[in-house]
Amino acid sequence: MLCALTLAACAHVSVTPEPASELVLHVGKILTVDAENRVVNRGYLHVRDGKIVAIATTDAGFDVGPGAERIERPDLWAFPGMVDLHCHISTNGFSADLNDMNFPLNPDLRSQPGIRVGHAAMRRACASGVTTAFVIPGSGTSISGFGTVLKFKTDPEGRYADTVVRDPGGVKVAQNFNPERRAGDLGLTQAGLAWNLESLNDRVARQVASGSGTGDPLLANLEAVHRGELPVLIHCASAEGVANTVRMWKLRYGTQCVISHGSWDGHYAAAFAAEHGVPVNHGPRVINHTSMRREGKIQGGAAAYVAAGVPLFSLNTDSPIVPQEELFVQGTVSARYGADAETMLRALTTHPAQSFQLGDRVGSLAVGLDADIVLFTGDPLDPRSAVELVLIDGEVQYDRSQGQWF
Amino acid sequence: MISSFLLFSLLVAAPAPAPAQGIVAIRVGRAESIASGTLEHAVILVEGNTITAIGEDLPIEPGIPILDRPDWVVTPGLVNCYSRLGLTSRAGNQFEPHVLASQELTEVNSALGQVLELGVTTLGLVPPGAGITGQAVAIRTKGSKPADLVLQDRAFLALSLETNSSSKKALRRGFEGVDDYQGKVDKERAKFDKKNDSKKSKSKSKDKDEDKDKDEFKPPTPDEKVKPFLDVREGRLSALVNIRKASDWLHLRDVISEEKDMRYHLRCPLSDDIDLYEVKDAIGELALHFVTTPTITQQVGTRRERNLPAELTTAGAKLVFVPASDSVRSHETYVKEVAYLVSKGLDAEAAYYGLTLGPATVLGVEDRVGSLEVGKHANLVLWNGDPFEPGTEIQAVMLEGAWVHEEDGATE
Amino acid sequence: MKQFKHTSLSALALFLGLAFAAPLPALAFDDEESAEEAEEEDGDKWFAVVDGDVFTGTGAVLRGATVLAKNGVIEEIGYDLYLPEGTQVLRVPGQRVYPGLVALSATSRISRGMFASRDEGEIDELARAEAEIEGTPESPETFDWLAAAYDPTLPGSSAPEDEEGAVGRRPVRMDAEDGYDPFNPYLILALATGITTAEQGDSALKLKRGSIDGVGMTEKYISSFAWSNSSPSSKESTRAKFKSASDYLREHRKWEERGDKEIPEPDKKGVDANALKVLRGETWARFSSNDRSELLGIARLAQQYKFRPVIYGAREGWTVADELGRAGAYIVVTPRSRADKDERYVRPGGSSIENAAKLHAAGATVTVVPASTSIDLSGIAGRDLLHLPIEAGFAVRGGMSEQAALEAITINPARIMGVDHRVGSLEVGKDCDLIVTDGDVLHYETFVQWAVVAGEIAYDKQEEIYFAHIRPRSDAVDPLEVVGEEPATEDEAPAEPDADDAEEGDDAEEGDDAEEGDDAEEGDDPEAGDDASGDDATGGR
Repeated sequence: MLCALTLAACAHVSVTPEPASELVLHVGKILTVDAENRVVNRGYLHVRDGKIVAIATTDAGFDVGPGAERIERPDLWAFPGMVDLHCHISTNGFSADLNDMNFPLNPDLRSQPGIRVGHAAMRRACASGVTTAFVIPGSGTSISGFGTVLKFKTDPEGRYADTVVRDPGGVKVAQNFNPERRAGDLGLTQAGLAWNLESLNDRVARQVASGSGTGDPLLANLEAVHRGELPVLIHCASAEGVANTVRMWKLRYGTQCVISHGSWDGHYAAAFAAEHGVPVNHGPRVINHTSMRREGKIQGGAAAYVAAGVPLFSLNTDSPIVPQEELFVQGTVSARYGADAETMLRALTTHPAQSFQLGDRVGSLAVGLDADIVLFTGDPLDPRSAVELVLIDGEVQYDRSQGQWF
Repeated sequence: MISSFLLFSLLVAAPAPAPAQGIVAIRVGRAESIASGTLEHAVILVEGNTITAIGEDLPIEPGIPILDRPDWVVTPGLVNCYSRLGLTSRAGNQFEPHVLASQELTEVNSALGQVLELGVTTLGLVPPGAGITGQAVAIRTKGSKPADLVLQDRAFLALSLETNSSSKKALRRGFEGVDDYQGKVDKERAKFDKKNDSKKSKSKSKDKDEDKDKDEFKPPTPDEKVKPFLDVREGRLSALVNIRKASDWLHLRDVISEEKDMRYHLRCPLSDDIDLYEVKDAIGELALHFVTTPTITQQVGTRRERNLPAELTTAGAKLVFVPASDSVRSHETYVKEVAYLVSKGLDAEAAYYGLTLGPATVLGVEDRVGSLEVGKHANLVLWNGDPFEPGTEIQAVMLEGAWVHEEDGATE
Repeated sequence: MKQFKHTSLSALALFLGLAFAAPLPALAFDDEESAEEAEEEDGDKWFAVVDGDVFTGTGAVLRGATVLAKNGVIEEIGYDLYLPEGTQVLRVPGQRVYPGLVALSATSRISRGMFASRDEGEIDELARAEAEIEGTPESPETFDWLAAAYDPTLPGSSAPEDEEGAVGRRPVRMDAEDGYDPFNPYLILALATGITTAEQGDSALKLKRGSIDGVGMTEKYISSFAWSNSSPSSKESTRAKFKSASDYLREHRKWEERGDKEIPEPDKKGVDANALKVLRGETWARFSSNDRSELLGIARLAQQYKFRPVIYGAREGWTVADELGRAGAYIVVTPRSRADKDERYVRPGGSSIENAAKLHAAGATVTVVPASTSIDLSGIAGRDLLHLPIEAGFAVRGGMSEQAALEAITINPARIMGVDHRVGSLEVGKDCDLIVTDGDVLHYETFVQWAVVAGEIAYDKQEEIYFAHIRPRSDAVDPLEVVGEEPATEDEAPAEPDADDAEEGDDAEEGDDAEEGDDAEEGDDPEAGDDASGDDATGGR
């Protein structure tokens, strides 16, 4: 009873400790998920001012200043904070604050006004090891607006500005299977949807190419997309949806595009996406059983996309469709259904980060990157492994010993 | 085959339509006799409404008119044993074993003539609804008034058995009614015997020559809903059990495990995802007649084709084909669909059986129709080639000795 | 132990560690004898799983041991067992053997589901899109299949049960045995998950393949009682039921002790029959509640009237775990059940990942069920019965021991259904319902390779279409043989993943020597192929 009370108490009280500007972690295993995909056994991580400054098997060479905090957890595994590119938990849990349905194209909308930081769903997400997310509007319209890349810091009284990684972080596009207009206006069919998107983007692309720009401040962010400065996340599903997305956003506009969902039999177009180097951010549906074409077998989407050679394959939750804290479960079940576990670890961290121009900040444990570090009791894909400690920018956001949130 | 059904017919073999005058010999390239296989250069002698001779290269007496069609093929008239053609009443799930489909025959529906042109000379009509629906009637597809149509009433008891307790309970209830009835009969008999005994002993003591007094024991009349199940239990009436999937078969076996003398056939229209291949060996082992639509099915959950009719045939079941619906169109195409199954591996002989003698057996009229045999009704279909080859068409149809349909000059 | 199923109720009560009457229904005892006698006529049927690491479920692990079954019942577990001639042997070196899993609250799809006969590609796109925008994780096809699985002629089955959050909501009553379809694809998928016993309606069903004989194990072992904050009268009426039953029993006992035949037996009139059965230990009392104060009320009611409640849901159980433990409650939880605390109250509340662990630690008997107790193939994976062991893994995440987590999906649900004398662990005298896995059953990459039900192979991963392509098992030698028969020497062509005809073609005789060569190799590297993906990053299991 006593411990129960303690736990509940901490669940709604800020746990942000005094910012430790310098920190040395000693852990049993460091899964760097970096370019070499190193595993450092019995390793040390040196963190200063929110960044990782050194990783080694001994702290002998660390230039540690006085007052540095030390965290000794040689029983735990260090893993990069996970990254979800498809997140709708701007406010707490479910919310209608996702789709403004009047216009099919809303390149001037941003999710930022709808974001509340440090709410319960975000805290739980952080406690599961998800530290960065692309928080976006829904898929009710062809272009629903620009989302924000932010970190799931757990202080409910924290400031939005302290959590933001990039705002706007990129644009959310819905190619098919939801943006279909049913109010009698253009865009009921795939053809109409394509026309809607192309009518605007052709113009912007042309004016960006001519160097003049549109001159329209409301299209400034979309211009950045066409200049390749901001990525685009495209909601699509089914084989034709995936193929159309590649054709439009890669071949026609040459944007930094990422396919999101690619559900049902989307993986039939995996080879096409791979051929043109378009990353896939798969989920929340990660198995395709007998859909569309009946093979009888239960096909893991991740296994199919990875086998086709899709670069930077990543996983999402489409939270709250799959609860945000269960991002790792998408890796768990994907590994169960045939994808290899090691690739799934990358699909939760460095792959989404790199495919969204975030690789220089998050997604790996590497020198120079943000100190977003999650300490697990074991394999991060195993639901039995608990998260013991989460650091964001070198600050402790969650500590299981103070009560387990997830 | 003892046609004990006759005992229970109200309307035993109604008069046939006007018999053909005299005698005709039909000489064709091939006859699918069903009874004695394929006959080359077949000659069939029809006298009145009956086949009086059939064989290969039979000599034909001079003076007998000959229909000589060396390129044609003759088969018995087709039999569709499960139909509601021309019947309009509807019913839900019910327990009405005593209902007779024949009671619905109030007119000679024009649709009968249409399927007759398509070679269907015998039709089994079933009562409406689902559950335990009543008894079928076998009819000929031409007649001037409803009573003329009837070939065999009370052809079988139609019922369905599904994997659920309400369905199983309904069938159990049928047999439990018989249990109760038989219990009552036993009691009455005991009472009767006791009475008789005491009478006997009394009469012994008094006078010895009072044998006249001795009554026959008359069992009580069973309830109208009990009677059909009594007949099914004692093998006088066959049952046609509708199932929908493999497990229904197991549950049927569970319910009728004590019914040793019950004769039954199965019916299951085939759909894509049907799992009957799971029980084909058990069905085949009992050599059951299996009424079904000529359909290629699939392995459950996949698009892998399975020729379930062929598989069931190989396993030992006797396939009986019926059109997918009562539409004229379905009657037009179902022979072609059977032909497709043959092209996909179904044994041709089994296919012919399934269109003729098989369904006739289900209807209990196999002593009269369904094959080309001496003494049987002269129900013939003349085809201008192999019935299972594409493009082959029906040239003429004979029902009980009379040409009832022919293409121009086909029988001249 | 062999005589276990013939022991008296009181002996069972001891086994269960009950302080008071064991609410084990007498009707749990099936007429197994008759089934056995029938088998006896054709000779006994022997089956053995050989060389596996046997996790009995009771805590004991026997490495490389043999489980021998006679006529579907475990005859012996151990080493160097004599296998009678004709024994069917399944040789599983390097693999694990567990008791079959037990799924409580499973939806009817498990025993009577059907795949849609139409192409699922034709699903209403609108409904699908709505699922996406509304965030409904359930695809419309789920409901379609469910409707197909329902028999509209059954009373009370007009509304399909809620697929989501089955904990706390009960499936409609059905005559489970008569509705059992031993060929249905969802059944195969349940077996593929390792589930060999499932609750269907209020029945415990043995998930036999291809047969409906002896499928039912118990029926109606449980009576529901209401206890809800939103309906104070429900509490009053439930309390009154137990009070009247308790008073009656006391009066009755007094009357018996007096032994005076002049005095009439106490009148049962007005006494609730279900409550009486509960207090007599003939049935369980089931409650559904997630709320802390309701749970507290149920726990105290149970302690007052001395029965062990079965509580479904219990989301806030962790806040009152001590009381629930003291009541000896059987708790059916979904470890990942999620609800935020009601911030209007200071008291603890909401869900906790530690719920299962804390309840277990406090002495409650915990059963784990997933959020959806159906089988959901709509694409969202990880929350349905196909992932029952993964859900149990979340209990471990919250601090439960692995042994307790295994019990939470085996023996504990079996206890609730009153079939723990037959299933839920591997012990002599119990039914031979077991699974062979390629690893720790709680590990996410582990697949059930074989499921054995009543001493017969009911599922073989490589023989079925669903999972054969995922990390396919390569049997170096045929794992199946019959004692006293020449081993089949047909080249082990990888089995067609097709459930059909298992034609035994064991006449071939050549090539015995070559086989032995293979044998030796196999011994060297028993786990080859299983852990091909074993990499440093994920570490060992």
